[in-house]
Amino acid sequence: MRIALIGNQNSGKTTLFNALTGSNQKIGNWPGVTIEQKVGYIEKDKHEIIDLPGIYSLSPYTIEESISRAFLLQEKIDLIVNIIDATQLERSLYLTTQLLELNIDMIICLNMADTFAKKGISIHKELLEQKLNTSIIEISALKKTGIQKLIQCIDSQNYLKHKPLKIFNPNIEKTIQYLEEKISEPNKRFLSIKLLESDPIIEHAVDVTSLTKPLEKVYGYDFETIIASGRYAFIEKIKKETFVRIHHGDKLTESLDKVFLNKFLAIPIFGLVMFLIYYLSVGVVGSLTVDFVDGSVSQFSAFMFDLLKDLGAHDFSASLVSDGMIAGVGAVLNFVPQLIILFLLISALEGSGYMTRIAFFLDRLFKKFGLSGKALIPFIIGSGCSVPGIMATRTIESQDERRISIMLTPFIPCSAKLPIIALFAGFFFPNNSGFVSFSLYMMSIVVILVSALIMKTFFFKGQPSSYITELPNYRIPNFRYVFRDVYERVKEFIDRAGTIILLSSVLIWFLSAYSFRLEYGVDVNESMLSYLGRGFAYVFYPMLGDLSWAASVSAIQGLVAKEQVVSSLAVIGGLSADITQGNIILNAPIYQFFTPASAYAFMVFNLFSAPCFAAIGAMHKELGSRRKTWFAILFQTGLAYLLATLIFQLGTFIGGIS
Amino acid sequence: MNEKTMLTTLDKVKLNQSAKVVRLLSTKNEIKRRLLDMGLTPGVVVHIKKIAPLGDPIDISIRDYDLCIRKDDLKQIEVIVL
Repeated sequence: MRIALIGNQNSGKTTLFNALTGSNQKIGNWPGVTIEQKVGYIEKDKHEIIDLPGIYSLSPYTIEESISRAFLLQEKIDLIVNIIDATQLERSLYLTTQLLELNIDMIICLNMADTFAKKGISIHKELLEQKLNTSIIEISALKKTGIQKLIQCIDSQNYLKHKPLKIFNPNIEKTIQYLEEKISEPNKRFLSIKLLESDPIIEHAVDVTSLTKPLEKVYGYDFETIIASGRYAFIEKIKKETFVRIHHGDKLTESLDKVFLNKFLAIPIFGLVMFLIYYLSVGVVGSLTVDFVDGSVSQFSAFMFDLLKDLGAHDFSASLVSDGMIAGVGAVLNFVPQLIILFLLISALEGSGYMTRIAFFLDRLFKKFGLSGKALIPFIIGSGCSVPGIMATRTIESQDERRISIMLTPFIPCSAKLPIIALFAGFFFPNNSGFVSFSLYMMSIVVILVSALIMKTFFFKGQPSSYITELPNYRIPNFRYVFRDVYERVKEFIDRAGTIILLSSVLIWFLSAYSFRLEYGVDVNESMLSYLGRGFAYVFYPMLGDLSWAASVSAIQGLVAKEQVVSSLAVIGGLSADITQGNIILNAPIYQFFTPASAYAFMVFNLFSAPCFAAIGAMHKELGSRRKTWFAILFQTGLAYLLATLIFQLGTFIGGIS
Repeated sequence: MNEKTMLTTLDKVKLNQSAKVVRLLSTKNEIKRRLLDMGLTPGVVVHIKKIAPLGDPIDISIRDYDLCIRKDDLKQIEVIVL
């Protein structure tokens, strides 16, 4: 069976999806719906379940709603599982009443059933079932209760079958029915109502004004209002009959908001939280682990070199393993402990409900720069990885604001840029590495805001948008989900180190160990790579103050993956120096030209220039236009170049007079 | 007092006051639609719950949940103060 999982945002949908499918998930792509969705399988591939985006309505105004709607209408779905948060019954059922208009069977999952008593509510499930003519199962996605019952119900198909539910006033129902008789396609009722609402996506084959005008006159509202009011009136009626609120649950959210949304404390607390995230992952964990891991990698590299030599290996094969593979991959793996901490903290921030509050209180500031507070969520997620960050822009309603957010998300230092920052900040600013990292983070915010202003003023002169969003309750993040999320992201990073980084490192080793006449063991400055890089060295001269082909070719490799920059520096550095002495990358003589000013400029260039291919791909997909993607890449790289040059020149000037 | 004098827009309603929605004035279809979808239909009672630390947006309590809306959009919601 093919099942679609649908629910509001924050309804526990993803938790239920994970509980149902375990690790049996993949990313799916459907022809009609151009955007990827998660697919999972229940009971050894017996049922396919698709996790649709969290939405409030089937209206076509956000991309996520359009996706879900197109999916339900175009793909053959056998069953909808609609997850509902009973503490917000009215708004949850609003989506349900729309799903009931489709010609698809449905099961409703009443989530968080285990906390009803604590939250002071009681629901007459059987009566609600009867009123909606839909089977209802009480579950707790978090505690995994009721899941077996749900699976059994799906398996046995022992649920109430779809029957149209007439929820509107008789005169409206009569008009709907009149239209239904004229429609030959499936989902008649849904289409009829959309026609009456003058939905912009449905093709208007029939002129409905003769039908809607008289009713609009009777009710004194336009038809969209009549339909929405009709739905809520129906919901209020059945809620009155089936739902009792005994008391108003716990006041935790209210108390926490008194602090976190306090007029004076909100912004300082936010600053502190963001600082702590960076300080903990880059500063504390970074300084604790990087030296240790780096030392071990160097030792291992030296050990392997000697071992291979002892076994009678030729110089170049020993060097390939220790200077190419181990140095390149090891340089990247150094940063895994930091990534774990960073991903853990971001995931917790997202799961606790604090992230939406940041968007809420910074909206005013963002509005001044032509962005919505909602853009903050992609930015914060983007500090883990730009790809999910770029995808998170889908909740932004205004097209122009969404495009701007897509183009600016890569400016946030993502976790793969962290190795670059940590390496340079740690080496050149050993006593202030935490502050230097944080200063880059703050700089990225300033750059984002200024760029947004530039884009809004010169390139996207759209209308000012709105900010209409739910403020969910605080909750303790679901640790199982957090760990899983972190595990997946770290695994992806390690996988990349073992594949693309390994391959690139070997290639870089080859190009820097051999001359054009394929002589092995030449001085790195005589290698192929050095000659290839010399042209680029001129390009980077204004920000480095040195014609360094090594730094230039490394920066360009950021396109493959940002951590590859460090990897490449390590391979070239390793070949240029005697690795047996356990040199740290930047100690290599080939990098001696770096000053704090050029180190900072180099970090800035890598931070703001075009992101890796994966992120460029995500930008292209979400922007849906090659031209706009090129615009984004040129804008980012141009700005990076300008900023880095400015910083180096200024830094050198100030350094010179002080 | 007749009803006309009590008619106002939601941005004018003070913190911790409640109001009943009369109609949406918005001319922009998407915003109106979004507000309707989120439950701001004629007759519903809303409560001004929080104001963001920078003065905007406003958190209103509606249909058992919290909804944040900018002042600019609250201007489009005609209400009677309760």
